[in-house]
Amino acid sequence: MADDRKRLSTGLVVTSKVFVSSKNGGATKIVREHYLRDDIPCYSKCCNICQLDVKPNALGEIPEFVLSQEPNKLSNGHPHYVIIDTNIALHAIDLLESAECFYDVIITQTVLDEVKNVSFPIYSRLRALVKAQEKRFVIYHNEFNEQTYIVREKNESINDRNDRAIRKSVEWYNKHLNTNNSKTNVDIIFVTNDKDNYRKAKSDGLDARTLTEYIDSLPNAEDLHDMIPQNITSDEQDMPGETSYPEYYSTARILGGIKNGTLYQGILNISTYNFLEGSVSVPAFKKPLLILGSKNLNRAFNSDSVVVELLPKELWREPSSTIVEEENVGEEGNVDDENEGENQVSTKIISDKERQLLAQEAMRSTSSKELQQQEKRLQPTAKVVAIMRRSWRYYVGQISPSSVQDDSSNVARNCFVILMDKLLPRIRIKTRKARELLGKRIVVVVDSWSSNSKYPQGHFVRCLGDVESAEAETEALLLEHDVEYRPFSKSVLSCLPEDGDNWTVENNSNPEDPKFAKRVDLRDRLVCSIDPPNCVDIDDALHARKLPNGNYEVGVHIADVTHFVRANTALDAEAASRGTSVYLVEKRIDMLPMVLGTNLCSLKPYVDRFAFSVIWEVDEDANIVKVDFMKSIIKSRKAFAYEEAQIRIDDKTQNDELTQSMRILLNLSKKLKSKRVKAGALNLASPEVKVHMDNETSDPGEVEIKQLLETNSLVEEFMLFANISVARKIFDAYSQTAMLRRHAAPPATNFEELNNMLRARKKGMALSLESSKALADSLDRCMDEKDPYFNTLLRIMSTRCMMAAEYFPSGSYGYPEFWHYGLAVDIYTHFTSPIRRYCDVVVHRQLAGAIGYEQLDLSHRDKNKMEIIVKNINKRHRNAQFAGRASIEYYVGQVMKNNESKQEGYIIKCFNNGVVVLVPTFGVEGLIRLEHMGDASTSIFDEDKFELSFTDLKGNNRKLAVFDKVHVHVRSVKDDTSGKRKAQLVLV
Amino acid sequence: MILSPAERSYLYDSLAKDELIRPDARADYQFRPIEVKTSFLPSSNGSARVRLTDGSEIITSIKSKVVLAAEEKSLIECDIDIPGFRDDSNFVANLKYNMTSLLNKSFPFESLKLTSKYAFKLFIDCVVISYSSFPLTFISIACYLALKSTKLPKLISDVNDEETAEQPLFSDDWENAQYLGDLNDSKSFNPPLIIVIGVVGKNLLFDPSAEEEQVLENGIIISWYNNDISTPIHNLNFSVHSNMPNYKGLSQQMIMKSILMARKHCANIVKALDQAIEEQTDDGVIF
Repeated sequence: MADDRKRLSTGLVVTSKVFVSSKNGGATKIVREHYLRDDIPCYSKCCNICQLDVKPNALGEIPEFVLSQEPNKLSNGHPHYVIIDTNIALHAIDLLESAECFYDVIITQTVLDEVKNVSFPIYSRLRALVKAQEKRFVIYHNEFNEQTYIVREKNESINDRNDRAIRKSVEWYNKHLNTNNSKTNVDIIFVTNDKDNYRKAKSDGLDARTLTEYIDSLPNAEDLHDMIPQNITSDEQDMPGETSYPEYYSTARILGGIKNGTLYQGILNISTYNFLEGSVSVPAFKKPLLILGSKNLNRAFNSDSVVVELLPKELWREPSSTIVEEENVGEEGNVDDENEGENQVSTKIISDKERQLLAQEAMRSTSSKELQQQEKRLQPTAKVVAIMRRSWRYYVGQISPSSVQDDSSNVARNCFVILMDKLLPRIRIKTRKARELLGKRIVVVVDSWSSNSKYPQGHFVRCLGDVESAEAETEALLLEHDVEYRPFSKSVLSCLPEDGDNWTVENNSNPEDPKFAKRVDLRDRLVCSIDPPNCVDIDDALHARKLPNGNYEVGVHIADVTHFVRANTALDAEAASRGTSVYLVEKRIDMLPMVLGTNLCSLKPYVDRFAFSVIWEVDEDANIVKVDFMKSIIKSRKAFAYEEAQIRIDDKTQNDELTQSMRILLNLSKKLKSKRVKAGALNLASPEVKVHMDNETSDPGEVEIKQLLETNSLVEEFMLFANISVARKIFDAYSQTAMLRRHAAPPATNFEELNNMLRARKKGMALSLESSKALADSLDRCMDEKDPYFNTLLRIMSTRCMMAAEYFPSGSYGYPEFWHYGLAVDIYTHFTSPIRRYCDVVVHRQLAGAIGYEQLDLSHRDKNKMEIIVKNINKRHRNAQFAGRASIEYYVGQVMKNNESKQEGYIIKCFNNGVVVLVPTFGVEGLIRLEHMGDASTSIFDEDKFELSFTDLKGNNRKLAVFDKVHVHVRSVKDDTSGKRKAQLVLV
Repeated sequence: MILSPAERSYLYDSLAKDELIRPDARADYQFRPIEVKTSFLPSSNGSARVRLTDGSEIITSIKSKVVLAAEEKSLIECDIDIPGFRDDSNFVANLKYNMTSLLNKSFPFESLKLTSKYAFKLFIDCVVISYSSFPLTFISIACYLALKSTKLPKLISDVNDEETAEQPLFSDDWENAQYLGDLNDSKSFNPPLIIVIGVVGKNLLFDPSAEEEQVLENGIIISWYNNDISTPIHNLNFSVHSNMPNYKGLSQQMIMKSILMARKHCANIVKALDQAIEEQTDDGVIF
């Protein structure tokens, strides 16, 4: 396309771009007009030209010149600016963020756009770097500048064109700054690892360097070497012939295959017990597709989004009942995959016709009931043929000692990093510091996994500290669960009220303000809060009083967080991305800055606070007569701990009004609870324990199983009550975008195995699944007189079969599917903890909109934007739970380290080479391998009875089966390869 | 302009003579001069405009779409739009029928095939902005020119999807798009044309003007494709402005004669059109 520019006015030129869009297999010619201007500044303080001609942007802001007048010098003494190409941004973002290098960097718009298309997270990080200004990054809009815009040439690939555009900008900067302009000569260094780009830049006379060359030219080059990513540095590190994985299919084939139903897309889940077995749930089949062996897994990581193809029927398998962990497969990793030989079968060419027949077969076998038992267990298997999206992130692990060579020379060598996440393969990195890093927790990222390499290639990012030191472990688990724990940025903190901690309701009570006028003064109500001991972020407070007509007025008051967190501020964006506060044993990662969470929002006693109140009038039987929602001002009379409140209520001598109102609350909460249980609410259990910290040393002291008091359930009942009322109100007002929470009924297949176990082991017991009521009742019936804990055990195991509850905008499901299975209510949301959950913040805004307090922000009225919010908070919520559990697990391990003991345990899973035992006192479960219990050669595994019999170490015959109570020695051992402390159980 | 009976009679006589004399001094095989512009609609795959000195103007645009060949009745769909006429009016339906049947019978459909399952489908839209005589010839000329200038995105994925389904993928560079002609294996790609021939006495005249139409005794359309006569061939009442008072039956000889005449001259018409395309300059100026 010829460059046909047309001048529209001074400084504005229009040209057009023509390209082909082949979305969904189409091929549409698209023509876009593209406007160019001549007043885009270079943002350099050295420049004496652009400064004279700055124009404000659409918001009237003058652009800021960021690039330093005295930029950092290379080791040869030249001051320099850096321009990078897209691959550097994509692969070396850690280096870009590092405080050691990369100052005064110009990000061209071309690079920014390309990065945005490839990886949104890296794009956001790049944006954050620019915004922070600390490292003096600027975005230069070369595509809109008349002098640096270039037109794609015939037969030039879009990548080549973009590379040329970046080179053009380098050339422009060089000419612009160093010809009759800047007083000091500033080198413009173009960093690229692309050979072709490098060559062309050199021949154009630009100062192009590879990343390694650039780092080498810095004064502090030595320290930075290990952080250079591996895949883009050079081609020397190829490991030819190590192994060969099948190549991935072409995009055309994948799209065609998914369309005609021969290929399937889904998220890969690696089995917790066997790292060579994965499953992919696909809507077309009722049971997940199994993926067995590393060839079939084909370089996929756990939770990657993959495309799979069914294998022929003769390769369908049962899920394996053997435990395989990578560390046991041996250092060299040359244990053959179980189905290496069978791969030959699948190499023959099969047509789509046959594949479709196969898919129908698979559908039959996963759904039909009349098939033979044996047939029924067979699960269709598949192989990974492409990876749609990698789940790669930062990984925490430690260097495998045996992979470090004995050699003192200072040459970078390959070594393996074993990740904390057992489901992931080890990663090969290249470092000179392998010896120093032994026994440390380190952070690595994966760069690539080529088809001829047995392991993925990655690079070292940073060291967290010694294995098992509390700081390193805590940071590791935050990283592992993708929890944002860095302090709040300047722009976020600037959204807080100026008075900070001195903010008071009085100073902010302006009767002129129409919004303030809408607040209801509830300071006369006897409000109190009940929370765990030492709670500082008090979300909720309650009050109750008897009305003259015999009914009760009950109020739930929730911290008015949205008064401070306004929509579309940096603070709101940060809270939305964090999604939730994360509670670890010894620390809390807040969703909102401290001053809000623990002071301004927190409903502290004895001071006036803004609140969002739900006030009901209920009758004697806790039926709602009327409900009102209002923004209010309250004054809490007292902040109780659960136990304190319990004592006060139980104390017959206390008869003041506050205690009376608490008694009313308790009374009503019991009625609410019994109603809920009658409706079929589930009472499930998880083996939750609590770690007591020694105050002085903050060493974990002892482990205790969580105790529940009546007052716990008092608060809980009213929170549920408020959530339900609010859910109805916002759904009424915003039928498409109301933020709700649902809990789907578990599919019967989830309970299949548990019921099979019950049928085999416990006569006459079964769980019925018609409704939550039926399940609750059947759980109640499953009692073993000899073993009172059995019922709890069953509840724990049932909990694991449940679906996870999720947030959703009301438009995504039909009303019947709003059902919350666990609570047995038709509609539910989260309203009561806005300090620590973002969902509640959204709900607050929606409720404020629904009652006409203020206009609802557009982002909460737009279904697509709500989908994005919901997706993120669901993920954050899950991660926060996992991080919390991992923290407890770590501390329980530390406690056990000092307390080796004999405990009661229950077998919850039975494999042909071991059993999994749950120890309720510590809330831990562990695997006991057959070879540690007895003679493996004598074992007989009865799969139908979930029973493993063998000769134990003393020569006695032993039978172990699911649900059996066993005594075990619990001991905490450190696994030397992964550095992870695990509960080791030994059968007594 | 409607001719008076005297004018009509004069015109008839001069056209019916052995040595015919046309009012604008054309030979019997000559067309009126046309002005041609191609590839001027930026978002179309191909486009052409034909203008006559009397103000007649026809614009044709061609867009493509990727389809599953088995699900389509035809890979070409032609639509004609004439302001002031309903789409289902006789006049428009007739023109559309002729163009559709011409294209469906005489088109190298092979060149539209992408893979064994997928193919391009062409959507041809003709707008007759203004006209004085029967516009079919110029519609077909505009289509000819537009098709000659049509470019289709280049397929970069595998052509063989017999065994395994592949969704076609295309190069995103419009510069890589190929002319329809280049996609065809045979060297020359010449879209079909329709020639309109008027019958007066024993004479035949190509491209009768609006005045000539009023004295015609009959009208013949003949199609030309790949250097030979093609279908549809039939007779037609061209009258736009009058009811053709001289209209009568058509003798077999005249049909034979018209075919011979088309054989003799059509190649030159095609040549002239091709030359017009070659002379196009990419100046972006269309007025």
